[in-house]
Amino acid sequence: MKDCVRYAPMLGAREGELTEEEQHALDLHLQGCAGCRATAAELAALDGLVGESLMARANARDFAPFVDEVMARVGAPGLAPARGRRGFLGWFRTHPRAALASLVPFVAAVALVVYVRLERGGESGPMASLEIATEGEVTMVLQTSDGPVVLLDDGEHS
Amino acid sequence: MEADDLALVTKAQAGDPAAFRALVVRYQRKVYAVALGIVKDSDLAWDVAQEAFVRVHGHLGAFEGKSSFSTWLFRIATHLSIDAVRRERVSQKEDVDEVRESDLTGGGEGILATTLGDDPAENLLRREMAEKIQDALQTLPEKHRTILVLREVEGLSYEELAERLGIHKGTVMSRLFHARKKMQAALRGYAERSARDDEESAP
Amino acid sequence: MIRTLFAATLCTFLALVAALPTAAHAEVPVRVRVIKGSRQGPAKVDPRLEDLRRQLSPLAYVRWEQVSEHRMDLERGRTQFVELPDGDSAALTLQERHGDTVTFEVALTSRNTQSRLTVQKGQRIVHQVTGEKKGEALFLTVNAWP
Repeated sequence: MKDCVRYAPMLGAREGELTEEEQHALDLHLQGCAGCRATAAELAALDGLVGESLMARANARDFAPFVDEVMARVGAPGLAPARGRRGFLGWFRTHPRAALASLVPFVAAVALVVYVRLERGGESGPMASLEIATEGEVTMVLQTSDGPVVLLDDGEHS
Repeated sequence: MEADDLALVTKAQAGDPAAFRALVVRYQRKVYAVALGIVKDSDLAWDVAQEAFVRVHGHLGAFEGKSSFSTWLFRIATHLSIDAVRRERVSQKEDVDEVRESDLTGGGEGILATTLGDDPAENLLRREMAEKIQDALQTLPEKHRTILVLREVEGLSYEELAERLGIHKGTVMSRLFHARKKMQAALRGYAERSARDDEESAP
Repeated sequence: MIRTLFAATLCTFLALVAALPTAAHAEVPVRVRVIKGSRQGPAKVDPRLEDLRRQLSPLAYVRWEQVSEHRMDLERGRTQFVELPDGDSAALTLQERHGDTVTFEVALTSRNTQSRLTVQKGQRIVHQVTGEKKGEALFLTVNAWP
């Protein structure tokens, strides 16, 4: 047990983090110590979980306002000019050829998003197969069986 | 493909806001994840992460590229996070870093290691696990949360952890060991409660 | 009986714990194309964009050509930038992966726009990345496991 106290902290080391002497001594100890082998395996099973969990939380959060808030605080807010949204009716006006063709997939997209949200609210629902969320100058999302098509506000940009 | 950090920093130093914006977009989630792991509260983590970028922007002129941009950014974010926790902390028992014999018992019984298999961790269960881990992490003292987060989100080595936290490599190793054992114990607590709930709900 | 039930539950729970880290560093290979749509000219789709025809056909643009193509491995949470011809760039981040289903974030840093899109293997994302100028606009297409 006295040796275990010395070697236990070495158990989570990555390759190259221990000196050659430390690694050699640890290997020798592990050969003869079932308790430390079990501890090593348990710690290895947990390795990476905290990072995974935190990145999942970060990825689940809407970061659209983050960069704008930072840029405003450092005094450089002008990069992404605030633009009035024209809404999809404006898109229809300027894309007459696409209007009719788009209507059906657009309705489907709305229905799909609603379906997905409802499904996710349920306790045992399967993960949504298709999810769409957009922030900013997006005018329209078409959901096709081949995947989503996201269209921007079509105003002129310099 | 990925634009070089240093090239973006150089442009940002010359006053190009688009370059700084690109750096923020590149690192915002990871900086937030580090802050969240240390400060626990998501709104506070958001503020701390933003403050880190604001501080970096304020000192861009002094950045000489001796360390990488990301190392510099995460160092600032770490210190801001720890400061935020310490400001909020009312009182907390100090945990020793030394590993004692009592620390080696009562942890495993080998169960964690016996079940490595394919990847069944999908969908709902996976999300539940992420929440459990988050809850477990929050039960750890600040210094244990910090070292685990820096190890796992930033991927720091023992040497880098020693440098970042201002402690010896031996202390890094023992502190990490304590942190992991505490995570293990906390997760086991959830497993036991889950088992009890199952028993009680069984007919 | 109680001990057996407890042990079984614990094993299941910890199996999940044990299996999770394997996904932490997972990379997803993606094929990214920058394409240009024009309203003018004879209707024509670049043969390299044939797989996108059904997604492109509802749009008002009639002439499609591929501007550039990139292949990259995306690691969760790490943003990769795709250079656009106008000097701007689009940021692409792998947010989640569950089996054959992946969630990408497409962010246009200069336009204050972020989209979070989940697709399954075999599907493609088509995302407009520039406003329309003189009847032309640029789009980004992304497909995983090309």
